[in-house]
Amino acid sequence: MSVFEKLEDIATGVIEKARRYGASESDVTITTRSAVETTVRLGEVEKLEGAQMRGLQFRALCGAKGTKTASSSTSDLSPQALDKLIKETIATAEASEEDPFAGLPESEDFAPDYLRHNFALDIFDPEVEHIPVEKKIQLALAAEEAARQADKRISNSDGASFSDSAGVIVHANSRGFLGSYEGSHVSISVGVVASQDDEMQTGGWWASNRRFSNLEEAEAVGRKAAERALRQLGSRKVKSQEVPVIFDPLMAGRLLAQFVGAASGAHIYRKSSFLVDKLGEVVASKGVTIIDDPLMAGKLGSHPFDSEGLACKKRTIVEEGKLLTYLLSSYAARRLNTKPNSGSLGNLYLQAGDSSPEDLIGSVKNGLYLTSVSGPGFKVITGDYSLGASGIWIENGKLAYPVSGITIASDMLSMFKNIEAIGNDLDFRSSTSSPSIKISKMTVAGQ
Amino acid sequence: MVSAINSGPDAAKLLHSSQMTPEKELHDAFGITYEQLQKVIAEAAQGTAGKQGFCDVFLQAGSAHAITLDQEVIKNASSAHVNGAGVRVVVGDKTGYSHTDHVNTTNLKRCATIARAICEHARENHNLELKESREESAHRSCGYSESGADIFKPHNLYGNEESPTNWDLKEKIALLKKMDRMARDFDPRISNVSVSLAAEDYVIIIATSRGAIFADRRPLVRLNIACQAEENGKRENGSSGGGGRFDFRTLLEEDYWSDHVLIAARQAIELLSAEPAPAGEMDVVLGSGWPGVLIHEAVGHGLEGDFNRKGTSAFSNLMGSSVASKLVTVIDDGTIAERRGSLNMDDEGTPTGRTVLIENGKLTGYLQDKQNASLMKASLTGNGRRQDYRFAPIPRMTNTYMAEGTSSPDEIIASVKKGIFATTFGGGQVDITNGDFTFSATGAYLIENGKITKPIKGATLIGNGPKALHKVVMVGNDVALDRGIGTCGKDGQGVPVGVGMPTIRINGITVGGSKN
Repeated sequence: MSVFEKLEDIATGVIEKARRYGASESDVTITTRSAVETTVRLGEVEKLEGAQMRGLQFRALCGAKGTKTASSSTSDLSPQALDKLIKETIATAEASEEDPFAGLPESEDFAPDYLRHNFALDIFDPEVEHIPVEKKIQLALAAEEAARQADKRISNSDGASFSDSAGVIVHANSRGFLGSYEGSHVSISVGVVASQDDEMQTGGWWASNRRFSNLEEAEAVGRKAAERALRQLGSRKVKSQEVPVIFDPLMAGRLLAQFVGAASGAHIYRKSSFLVDKLGEVVASKGVTIIDDPLMAGKLGSHPFDSEGLACKKRTIVEEGKLLTYLLSSYAARRLNTKPNSGSLGNLYLQAGDSSPEDLIGSVKNGLYLTSVSGPGFKVITGDYSLGASGIWIENGKLAYPVSGITIASDMLSMFKNIEAIGNDLDFRSSTSSPSIKISKMTVAGQ
Repeated sequence: MVSAINSGPDAAKLLHSSQMTPEKELHDAFGITYEQLQKVIAEAAQGTAGKQGFCDVFLQAGSAHAITLDQEVIKNASSAHVNGAGVRVVVGDKTGYSHTDHVNTTNLKRCATIARAICEHARENHNLELKESREESAHRSCGYSESGADIFKPHNLYGNEESPTNWDLKEKIALLKKMDRMARDFDPRISNVSVSLAAEDYVIIIATSRGAIFADRRPLVRLNIACQAEENGKRENGSSGGGGRFDFRTLLEEDYWSDHVLIAARQAIELLSAEPAPAGEMDVVLGSGWPGVLIHEAVGHGLEGDFNRKGTSAFSNLMGSSVASKLVTVIDDGTIAERRGSLNMDDEGTPTGRTVLIENGKLTGYLQDKQNASLMKASLTGNGRRQDYRFAPIPRMTNTYMAEGTSSPDEIIASVKKGIFATTFGGGQVDITNGDFTFSATGAYLIENGKITKPIKGATLIGNGPKALHKVVMVGNDVALDRGIGTCGKDGQGVPVGVGMPTIRINGITVGGSKN
């Protein structure tokens, strides 16, 4: 019996048992994962971690209408433990109250058959589980060494890690959905410290991939980490002023995730987002098109079905500045009286424009090239945005000197409407990616 | 009878750790004997022979329960059951770690084999002076079975008679509804209320290669409320919450929950008329309690042993130097009864303690776990913590606060000509290495000519750790800890913590509003 068949057997067994114990509906997700992390620091192995993990999540819908819900999780998959878990969860659901919107998705919204059984999305690399430890150590060492050799001002290191994991996800529900897939993940990350006089600045970088052979060269990751630390040396504050801000791809991706998070169905039906009542309206400048595509081959955010078994399709969330859809789980869709399209994201990206990053910087007379933000200062309900920031100050179209200890503020709708230019530097480094973007004005607070 | 899900061993009666017999807990919760566990430790310790090192096993069993009322309906009642263990091998500055989600001797031995692989990479001479707690050495000299609870007196900080996982579901639902009702009655502009209750209870067992075994039983409860207000298409929200390691019945007391309802509802309403915060450097008054997140971010993290051993903290090599104004004394105290950040022992079995980090402006202490204390030849402070059995422990804060001064809060506000008064914060973040910290006020007011005038929103404060606290010019006489809502994240691990502060005035801090 393959691992898939074994786990699918357990999953269908749980559903069957739940039915027998009186649940109107139920669903179950089982995950197994093996993960290893190899960390080096200052040229020596510092930490080796390895584990095999597994977990099961069960949800029971009970009561006359099947709208009383309880859920539970465990890592004990023995028949006795699951039997007890199912009984207790059903008892809790029965004792709870009705939520008229609770339920499973309709079967017509399930992922189609061909996606259900380890569909070839190219997100699993069998090689990952067989990378020799020596190789992992060697790659982590090479990444750190490249960073430390980049410049004599690189004075210390937070270390470098090579991480790999591989696992299986199985989902089943009482409306007949059964699906499973496997995925793998490898990544390499480095953090180093640059110093000059009394000042220290860290810089970090990483690369990750589904496939080991596609992972970026370790040395390149190290050099980039060093560059990021070095370019912050000599940071100073600037005066408070209103200026254009260029978000580097990393910061633009972070901003994109915050923006799209506000389109999540749960925020919409609770009216707790600045995107409430904005469907079909202009929420960004004309150049902005935002796409989510869970079915891209080999990408980090790819998956054939979501956590409810819903179909995952490519969807355009914002097209030329207009908001086309929210992200709707089956619960949110029932709340909003519409059809679900999955509450989870796959590969989210902002479509590339045609300016080179140099063109973007060149277009700014006086402004900020943003490379890092900090703090929790974004409020979804209002869109108010105020975060700690550091980066490089732009003078007359050139990167002039590093800045830190400042903040940037605006509100999310204004920011997206003020996206004046979009870079051509989109890559799929994370499951959320964006090219560089230029926002025509934000408030910088400093001295 | 339907009550909350029975979870973990013997959930009905909560034993204080001083009454616990680790051997019995080990058997009841994990079905293994101490002899079997010692064999696992022996396997893990194999590679450490001749090298200065140690190993330990951390076992955790129990459950966490949560229930939410949102938009006037009871959402999911959830529970998470845990039964796992992690095996750690330390040689010098090197660590091997492996965990299992399913405790039995086979899985533990596999963890031991994985964890000890680190020994192949150990240097011969680590120049390591192994640190152990008084309690651990007592175990070593007297042997475990004779020692019991008599040799040392573990803390007994949790105020529970009964496990919070026994909390009846109907009783929880009734409380959620009362809070929802009260918030909606507070003001017709309250458009939604979301209330949640969480309760957890874990048995923790730690066994070390030095022959010690410790047990703890850790209950934790928490209540949260978020209110949303709407007026003329404008929406805002406010929240409040509290909890700790005390009896869940405390949350049922009207005085307790109604206070949180009022704070959340008032904040939501008040923000409807708030103006954008100003931008630029200004004088700031921080209220007592939760604004202590400043201390946590500005100095707390930078004084954790690991960063200072590695020399990557902005506070590295500053021991004994002046890092704050003379008015500033900062303490980390894991021994305050019933607090969210308190523990009878840390996650390495060391009793928690009270560490003065900054005394009258001078840097006096770091927070340590065993590995970093050993490498730095420092004393253990009881700050080796982990999120759960899946993680190796690292130095972490417990309850971190600024000690009180002599000014009255009124006098502090009256002293400011133009500035802001911030009372509630969403949280914060710090860059340990360059010392820059950021924290964001969710509730703040303008101060004009010594008087609080109007509410403002979107105020993010930014400063530099070793520099900012030099600008503290007044410290209030009203020190308070937060209500028990903080979770601190580091290296991907979240742990419950407390923060605290009296009212303080800090001059010339950058406020990141949007109003230029």
